[in-house]
Amino acid sequence: MEATTLDSLALGFSVAFRPDVLFYAFLGCLVGTLVGVLPGIGPLAGISILLPVTFGLDATKAIVMLAGIYYGSQYGGSTTSILMRIPGEAASVMTCIDGYAMAKRGRAGAALTIAAVGSFVAGTMGVILLTVVAPPIAKFALAFGPPEYTALLVLGLLFLAYMSSTGLPRTLLMAALGLLLGCIGIDVMTGHFRYSFDIKELGDGIGIVPVAVGLFGLGEILATPSKMVSEKVVPPRLAELLPNRQEWRQSVLPIARGSVLGFLVGIVPGSAHIIASFLSYGVEKRVSRTPEEFGKGAVAGVAGPESANNAASTGAFVPMLALGLPTGPVTAVLMAALLIHGVPPGPMLVNEHPQVFWGFIASMYVGNLMLLALNLPLVGVFVTVLRIPYAYLYPLIIMFCIIGVYEVNHSIVDVWIMLIMGVLGYLLRKFDFDPAPLVLGLVIAPIFELSLRQSLIMSNGNWLIFVERPIAQALLIVCAVVLGLSALSLLGKRRDWRAKLAQAEAGDGSDRG
Amino acid sequence: MQLRRDHVAGGVMLLAGALVLAASTDLPFGTLASPGAGMLPTVVIVLMSAFAALLLLNAGASPPIGAIAWTDAGHAVRVVGVTAAAVALYIPFGFIASMALLLFVLTFLVEKKPFIYALAFSGGATLSAYLVFGTLLNAPLPRGLWH
Repeated sequence: MEATTLDSLALGFSVAFRPDVLFYAFLGCLVGTLVGVLPGIGPLAGISILLPVTFGLDATKAIVMLAGIYYGSQYGGSTTSILMRIPGEAASVMTCIDGYAMAKRGRAGAALTIAAVGSFVAGTMGVILLTVVAPPIAKFALAFGPPEYTALLVLGLLFLAYMSSTGLPRTLLMAALGLLLGCIGIDVMTGHFRYSFDIKELGDGIGIVPVAVGLFGLGEILATPSKMVSEKVVPPRLAELLPNRQEWRQSVLPIARGSVLGFLVGIVPGSAHIIASFLSYGVEKRVSRTPEEFGKGAVAGVAGPESANNAASTGAFVPMLALGLPTGPVTAVLMAALLIHGVPPGPMLVNEHPQVFWGFIASMYVGNLMLLALNLPLVGVFVTVLRIPYAYLYPLIIMFCIIGVYEVNHSIVDVWIMLIMGVLGYLLRKFDFDPAPLVLGLVIAPIFELSLRQSLIMSNGNWLIFVERPIAQALLIVCAVVLGLSALSLLGKRRDWRAKLAQAEAGDGSDRG
Repeated sequence: MQLRRDHVAGGVMLLAGALVLAASTDLPFGTLASPGAGMLPTVVIVLMSAFAALLLLNAGASPPIGAIAWTDAGHAVRVVGVTAAAVALYIPFGFIASMALLLFVLTFLVEKKPFIYALAFSGGATLSAYLVFGTLLNAPLPRGLWH
């Protein structure tokens, strides 16, 4: 690490250790753990619902709290996976398999500890890598003009489509729908009203919060009748919370591998933390000397995926902070939060708002420590939360959705949009569409349109501007490669890792890895 | 020919694209050197229609439309109906009345929980939320009837 990076990090810690920032980091971690623990409410819905609560805070405290919810939910998700065989959030699907098997063998405490320690190590390693990688990328991105940004956004969408488990046409169809929704409202360059149908609230466009809360929060509730939610918990024996020596030994390498793999996957657009945990499970099964133990309580089956999903959630901050590019719906909402506070994420963030950038990074070191301290001693409290019957829980979540969405603009139109999006989210699930690219399309629509139109104006309408500039050209070549790879897998109809991921997400336990 | 999932999905998306295109006639496309407000929407609609057509073309590989499980549809319709009613009452009746009604109807009528439990839960949860959001966090919740 360069001396300047260390100096900047010291500045970050001076911000992160302020009592008020520490308080909001703690609050974010606590709420995030609860969000991860509770079925039917994922990190995206949690962050969206609590976004309005941060309006009274400054940008640093707001982003520290919201990010705490994000990575805290990755910790919390393991609790329900291990104790109930229900993933508290999607990235914990793989932990269900061996975590629950360990719990049934009376090793629930050890599984929870391994998951928490793995998450801590991976989270911390992820933050170290983020500290090292993000500033140079941001420096490089200062050379980006509108054509480079246009190419980068196209690449982001194509990567998302390539990584998606639902297939290229379905993902791009959803992204196009999101882009179209993002066109609603006043055109900033000409002042034209687009698709507002004389509803004045639509003049400002459709906000990300009602769409995200509707698709992911309400949509999930509509698809989950209470009779389908199991309330059977395998209670951990707290006396056996510490893993034995053999279990520690078996978890060291999977944690290390999961941390590196997760961070690398996290940088790439897509549902990175979900993909990372799936890939890590596959890798661990492949390198294991006893692959037959997977599915029956293998320690590596808990340590690897849990580490990978935490490292991936940290890795996802690299493109968001350094390039201003959201790689998934969660980072898109976090970006929206920064924008609301007047802090545009991107290459200028490090120089123009160093306190926010470095304070946020430093708070993640502290947050990971807080989560380790929270998750183990308080596991009994979280188990109690799990015993709240779903029939009482989901009405509460709907109420919080309404409060959260209404409070953003004090607009009832936003609440109606949320309800419509909830129904759309339910129908999309039925027809096997992933709503995440829709949210991403909605977020990038204004940036994409502005850079595309600026590029065309700059070149006097010459499309060649995108291939004449070296960085844009390189990005478009990568786009072509990604498209080619997608076409190959479409033509070959191979049952690749994405098909297996889709199967795992659908809850089919057979043939994993 | 058997109707399949992607026949319906692709068809609906194509229809949606055509409707939005029809609603875009007043938006100027502009020129490449000076793109207008209608350029991106038109490009996106064309792309969306192309992907929808691709879905339709490959629909034979998707499961039959009858294979989609709708066992949760009754629950979804009830929840949407109750929530829509609560949203309609949110401004005129205010936060406390509309949210207490929402929680009570969902727990007592939809989830068939005992009357007294549903009443205590809806009253307690609404007042707690009002205290946290309205009083502690100073969020201006609609007061409706009490304005």
